[in-house]
This record gives sequence, structure tokens and C-alpha cells, in this order.
Amino acid sequence: MTTITEIQTTQVYQIFIKATPEQVWDAITKPEFTERYFHGVRVEIAGGRRISRGPDGDAWGDEAVTEIDPPRRLVHEWRSAWDPEMAEEPASRVTWEIEEQDGVSMLTVVHDQLEGAPKTAAGVAGGWMRVLSGLKTLLETGEPLS
Amino acid sequence: MTCDHSVTYYQNMTDDDVVFRALADPTRRLLLDRLFERDGRTLTELESQLEMTRFGVMKHLHILEEAGLVVSRKAGRSRLHYLNPVPIRLIHDRWIDKYNEHRVSALAELKTQLEETA
Repeated sequence: MTTITEIQTTQVYQIFIKATPEQVWDAITKPEFTERYFHGVRVEIAGGRRISRGPDGDAWGDEAVTEIDPPRRLVHEWRSAWDPEMAEEPASRVTWEIEEQDGVSMLTVVHDQLEGAPKTAAGVAGGWMRVLSGLKTLLETGEPLS
Repeated sequence: MTCDHSVTYYQNMTDDDVVFRALADPTRRLLLDRLFERDGRTLTELESQLEMTRFGVMKHLHILEEAGLVVSRKAGRSRLHYLNPVPIRLIHDRWIDKYNEHRVSALAELKTQLEETA
């Protein structure tokens, strides 16, 4: 039995999606897409911020966007606002990179600067896998994961 | 000519085939376990954990990278290897979730039947 012996302060997730980089970019930056695979959250990138809203329009998160280069690269702060203990931890960083390879898009998500946020580091791993799997299904089939 | 055969063989492999092939080796699973324990390691660190030549470890890492199970990224002057669990999650979503759906729908049917007869 293998156990996690250290906090994973840099986490890397990668997925290939049969879609153009522009389609992937829209899917990660527009609320009408994110609500269908990102735990129902409506994410909007506006005015240098990444604003998250719940299904009823309530504010769930407001994080600084530190780099934006459509449709290739997006870097923003991360705070796990849905969990009170994780929300108290310092902000970490999420980098989205989109590269075109042989007609498909390779999306890499790097969640790092987690040194001060062990609860977030442990809490987001399963979430990222579910989000990326759902994003791929949505873009390739037009339907969210059931 | 044998090279041509192998090229054709790999071209016909689906993404799932490549993942299962990569997982079907104890050394490669051991490498994934090591990265699970501590992610972001150099080739030298991984090599020190295995009784194998550097070339052997490189060959196994290459197969894991081809399958998307390991992603390597440059960090300054070194190249770090990370475990990417997403391909295994995709297999889970494609196969295991189907079984869960059946179980859930079977329970739902049972509930309907019991409530109708009650």
C-alpha cells in the first residue's frame, strides 16, 4: 500500500482534447461552458479577475489573473472558497497551457505554489481529474459527463 | 521490415491501448508509485530508486510519457517528472461509471417496485 508521504506542492495534469485551442480557451473562460463541467460554477474572466459564481449567481470566488494570452496561456490565483479550512490557506497558483498537436489540443494544468496550502493540495487532486475529464467529454460530445 | 510492422501496430493502438500497455509492466508501475509518493523528480532521483541502468529507466519513462501517465517539465536546468493521473481517470469514467449507473438504476427500479406494491 502506497501512501502520500509529502505534500505535492506542484501538481501537473494533462489531457488531449479533440478540439481547437480556441474552443478549449472558450470552455475555460466562459461561464456558459464552465457551469457544465466545473462543479456547476460559472467562471468569468474580466478586468484582470477570475470571478466564480454559483448556480444562483452568488459570488463564490474572485481571484487575480496574473497572465492572459488567448488561446494559449492563463495564469491565476487559486483559493478554495467552498471549504472554510482551505479558504483560510494562502492563495496558490493555477496555470492553464494549451498547445496544438497534430490537430488536437493538449491542455496542461499546473497547480503550484501550494507550499502554504496543504489542505488545498490534498483537496484539489480528485477535483482536477473530474473537471478535466468533464471538459474533454463536453468538448468532444457536446454533452457534460453524467 | 519488422520496424514497419511495429509502426503499423502502434498507429492502430487507441489511447486506452497505450495506457494499458504502459501499466502492464511492474517496473513502470513502480515508477508511478514513486512519483505518487513524491512528485516532480529528476531522472537521476528515479534511477537511484531502481536497480536498473539509466537507459532502462529512460526507456520506461518514455513509454509512460507516450501514454500521458507521466508529464515532464523543465525547471531551471533540470527536467522534472510528474505523475499525470488523468488517463486513468478517463478509463474510470468510461468503464467504472457505467457499472455505477447500472447499480443506481437497479436500486431505483427496486424502490419503484417496492413502492408500487406497498
